[in-house]
Amino acid sequence: MQQPSPRTIAIDESLAAQAKLKVGDRVTLLARPAAEDYAVMTATPSGYTPSATPPETVIVAAIVRRGADPSQVARGDLLVRMHLDQLQEISGYGDRVDRFAIATKPGLRIGQLLDHINDVAFGFRAYRSHDIAVETSRTFQVVSRFHRAIGVITIVASSVFLLCIMVLKVEERRRDIAALRLMGISRSSIVKSIIVEAALVAVLGSILGVALGWAASLFVNWHYQGLYRTPLEFSIVTPEIVAVAVSLSLFLGAAAGVLASLRLVRTPPLVLLGR
Amino acid sequence: MRLTLARASLIRHRARTVLAVLGVAVAAAMLLDMVMLATGMRESFRELLVSRGFDIRLAPKGTLPFDTDATIPSVGAVTAVLRSNPDIREISPVLGASIHIPVGPRDVSATILGIDPTVQGDYEFLSGRDVTTPDAMVANDSLIKRLHARIGDTLSVATGYDPQTRTYSGQRKLVLTGRVRFIYGAAEQLSAAVRRETLEDMGDPARRDRASLFMVRVRKGADPDRVRDWIETYIPTVSAISVATAIAQVDQRLSYFRQLAIILGSVSLLVGFLLVTTLVTVSVNERAGEIAVMRAIGVSRTHVVEQIVAEGVVISIVGALLGLALGLVTARYLNGILSTFPGLPMAIDFFLFQPLAAWSALGLLAVSGIAAGIYPAWRAASLPISETLRREAIA
Repeated sequence: MQQPSPRTIAIDESLAAQAKLKVGDRVTLLARPAAEDYAVMTATPSGYTPSATPPETVIVAAIVRRGADPSQVARGDLLVRMHLDQLQEISGYGDRVDRFAIATKPGLRIGQLLDHINDVAFGFRAYRSHDIAVETSRTFQVVSRFHRAIGVITIVASSVFLLCIMVLKVEERRRDIAALRLMGISRSSIVKSIIVEAALVAVLGSILGVALGWAASLFVNWHYQGLYRTPLEFSIVTPEIVAVAVSLSLFLGAAAGVLASLRLVRTPPLVLLGR
Repeated sequence: MRLTLARASLIRHRARTVLAVLGVAVAAAMLLDMVMLATGMRESFRELLVSRGFDIRLAPKGTLPFDTDATIPSVGAVTAVLRSNPDIREISPVLGASIHIPVGPRDVSATILGIDPTVQGDYEFLSGRDVTTPDAMVANDSLIKRLHARIGDTLSVATGYDPQTRTYSGQRKLVLTGRVRFIYGAAEQLSAAVRRETLEDMGDPARRDRASLFMVRVRKGADPDRVRDWIETYIPTVSAISVATAIAQVDQRLSYFRQLAIILGSVSLLVGFLLVTTLVTVSVNERAGEIAVMRAIGVSRTHVVEQIVAEGVVISIVGALLGLALGLVTARYLNGILSTFPGLPMAIDFFLFQPLAAWSALGLLAVSGIAAGIYPAWRAASLPISETLRREAIA
């Protein structure tokens, strides 16, 4: 009598790496740990019900990469994809499923369809995928709020640092400014030139910062995608973020230039020269 | 003398000094927060785990406690195996489930634990009476408030509910006997506890003699890791998790925050260092003539260096102290954000102030600030006196 050929499963990259499995390998599946009976025989011979689930040998047909699911990040679960009837059989679940996923035709009113399903449903409820996604990504919303708060603190710290450096750089040139004032150059011309200079420094600095940020973003994605084995993008540099960073830097640079230069041009030139 | 001169120099450039102190304070606050984040999570979690004296948790194989609906079969047999180890002092099996309590037209869902009140380690008793009888139930304040109930009220509690037919299964009348605080419960979680036998009677017969978790206390002086290995050998249906392995697993899950803390902490330290270096360098360049005069009238090179370094010390120390206050305020704010993580135990703090770690970090910042001032100070004190004086006179 011919034996039925083993069925196939797909496993995810993490499981393949941890169990050192490759396509074509044969593995035995059990719904419960095989060694469950071991404790009965070695330690307590009574009161322990051995598992009755028969083992099933299957072939690894594919190694798959997981989708970008935020709720799965950092959980470290190992996934096996099986045929539905095979899982129902091995788990003793019967003709039951956890959920149905439904793809609708383009242009369909999802709300009406949900109401209709829930009106006639018996023993289950229909939800919009978006609502489930919002609920399962609550963790990431918290992380996002935390990042925003850290971002605000970083901006405050950078502003103080930038202001400090600009004040020092302008103060370093008190003699140049005194000389310019003694030569008859107006206060406003001096202030304007310092603002332009500060703005130029800020723009150059922000270009360098954007390049550094972009490189850091590439590194962060490479590191965490490898660590969590997920295609999720952890850091994205968008044109809006670049625009905000450059504008903020330009504004802070110019403001620091104004503050620093105003202090100096209001001081008499001879005092600046120490006379 | 040196401090007086340093103070005079700092006061003369008041705006610059204030900005530098502010810069160092912000860097110090950030550094402190990141040190609190890097070490706080782990310490807070460790304190939570050891708070009730249980050293090992047993969860269904391959899972973490209450991470899934899986249960450990044969509670009696597992308990007997555990009792055969003389190093195990106490065993507390816990069964978890969901309950439904009808309140008027609505249904309140909550989690419930089936425990043995004599050895339980899941809650702190606040008032009333513990679950000493089969029909007794204790609940946390969130659930009591949601139910608009009072101690002594009888509630109809079910372990199953079909929203379509609005029918309950596994229903039983229970008396609310006490108020408790669940140690591992999330802030918004509605929770209750009954005796394990009561919950088993109410639940699915297939879940009888099963537990979601075992908590194990080992004998004083015994090595929990050895006991853990022994358990995994003799009871292969469970994953035995000691405090150390639990912390390692949490570390792995939350490694992102630790790495972020290390990166931002390093950046803060670098920023503080750069700020003091820039300040001292500019200050020294500006005072080249003044320093040359001091050297010309016989002030030693070491004295000059000490005075300039003292300026860096004052800025670093004042900035670090200001940063300590600022850091504690921002840490509280950031902790408030992260404590809203869904399902996170209420008692977990991401930012935990540990005096040794905090003072070490701020000390490191102060030392780096001092180190930042040494080179420019030494360079200034080593300038040729006559040449510097001539250049200053011409200028």
